[in-house]
Amino acid sequence: MSILKYKLIPQSKDEKIGITVPLNIAFVNLADIESCNISAREAVKHIAASIDGPVGINVIDMDCVTTTSDGIMTEGTVVLMAAGDRGKINPDFGILEMEEIPYSEELIREEPHLKQWEMYPGKRLFRGPNPKNKLIPVHNVVITGRAGNNNSATEMMNIVTMEEILLPILGQLEIMRDGKLVVGNTGEVISVGIGMTIAEKFGRIFPTRQYKAGDTAHGCGEYAKTLKRNIPIIAADKAIIARQTIKALQFGMIPGKDIGCSPLVLSIAKAMGFKIDLDNITDRAYAELASVGITKEWLREERIPLTAEEVIAQADTLVPGINNPRKLKASEITLLKEIEI
Amino acid sequence: MKLMHTKLPEFIKKMKEAAIKGKVPKDIEIKGLENLTSAKMQSLRTGRIEHAVSEIAARDNVEKLEINVIPRVPETMHTVIVKGLDKEGKCLSAILEVVNILHPTEEAYLLDCDDVDDRRPKIGLH
Repeated sequence: MSILKYKLIPQSKDEKIGITVPLNIAFVNLADIESCNISAREAVKHIAASIDGPVGINVIDMDCVTTTSDGIMTEGTVVLMAAGDRGKINPDFGILEMEEIPYSEELIREEPHLKQWEMYPGKRLFRGPNPKNKLIPVHNVVITGRAGNNNSATEMMNIVTMEEILLPILGQLEIMRDGKLVVGNTGEVISVGIGMTIAEKFGRIFPTRQYKAGDTAHGCGEYAKTLKRNIPIIAADKAIIARQTIKALQFGMIPGKDIGCSPLVLSIAKAMGFKIDLDNITDRAYAELASVGITKEWLREERIPLTAEEVIAQADTLVPGINNPRKLKASEITLLKEIEI
Repeated sequence: MKLMHTKLPEFIKKMKEAAIKGKVPKDIEIKGLENLTSAKMQSLRTGRIEHAVSEIAARDNVEKLEINVIPRVPETMHTVIVKGLDKEGKCLSAILEVVNILHPTEEAYLLDCDDVDDRRPKIGLH
């Protein structure tokens, strides 16, 4: 017999953290699964069986790399996602593995943001699933009963109550590290920023390189800021996000060309005086950015650049996004659970 | 080929008849087809569903029946036709868009039931 550990954010209308968590959310470290000598599929079935309600389950390998929706590379990634309800996992739609993306020079040419891989030598890369491995045609989603785990495990929902929660990958990794979080409502800035994706094969949201850096997947003008505005979010502390973004900028990534042109990336690049490919940002992306106050004129203004340390220290005010934010330690919202295998 | 598909109103009628066929007629409520006005139902499974209704209806402790018709694949892909009409109702211009809809799977409808006999073929089979 062995003990499988996982972290759980219970379903709640929790006044303490000020947001509704519409289903149970479980995070399990692949290393802990391997120490039990079981597969990740077996592990998520055990976890689902231990929860009497809807649950999204993410299996995370802290020794691999992934990219954020802005195209920022980071250590730690979801390698398998699952959805369960009242102890069961749907056999057709309840579990999905992410696809490993092997290194090749052609890949780096197609996806220049992956040059960041040089900073993480030998680490395996995972983002979204291979479409050939899933039965659901469009969304990268798993569903069992009421529980939906979407966009390759970064957006979970209770499909019956229709409540949803966003779980950006950097926040999930902070949970795994017992680090620092900010929770609140997504707000208009991140609602716009989510659409500013980069071209990726087997990406977290899109399976093909459908939308390139500098463009917006939303493409709906002032409506973009309303799409996710009121949805709860559990994100990494803004200082963590700033530090990771600065690392990519200092490595040479250019917003709007190599990495996305979200308000978050543009604000940090602008504050530090990094080059932004203003000519490569599309008119429809500018229209969405302008709807949250990021205009071409503002981006062109000359400013005295701040240092990395200054930006990180002022991240809570400099990095835009999240309404009604509350800063919390991950341990304040997670329970450590153990089940016998 | 004329027997390959059943008209929607006929499908609904068949289910209601199957529910009252036994010694004790039972009420049946059919949910999930309300939004359909014109549809052809797969005959091969229609007969089996009639059979399932009569089988459940024949059970002594069953008071009433309910049918939930839900998407087998819990993401459905829809074309959205946005139409601009004139005073007479003639369509002057239209924009086609798409929306993919996520649905709960069957477990959400069976939270209080442990006795489930899954007679569905694998996805892709009739």
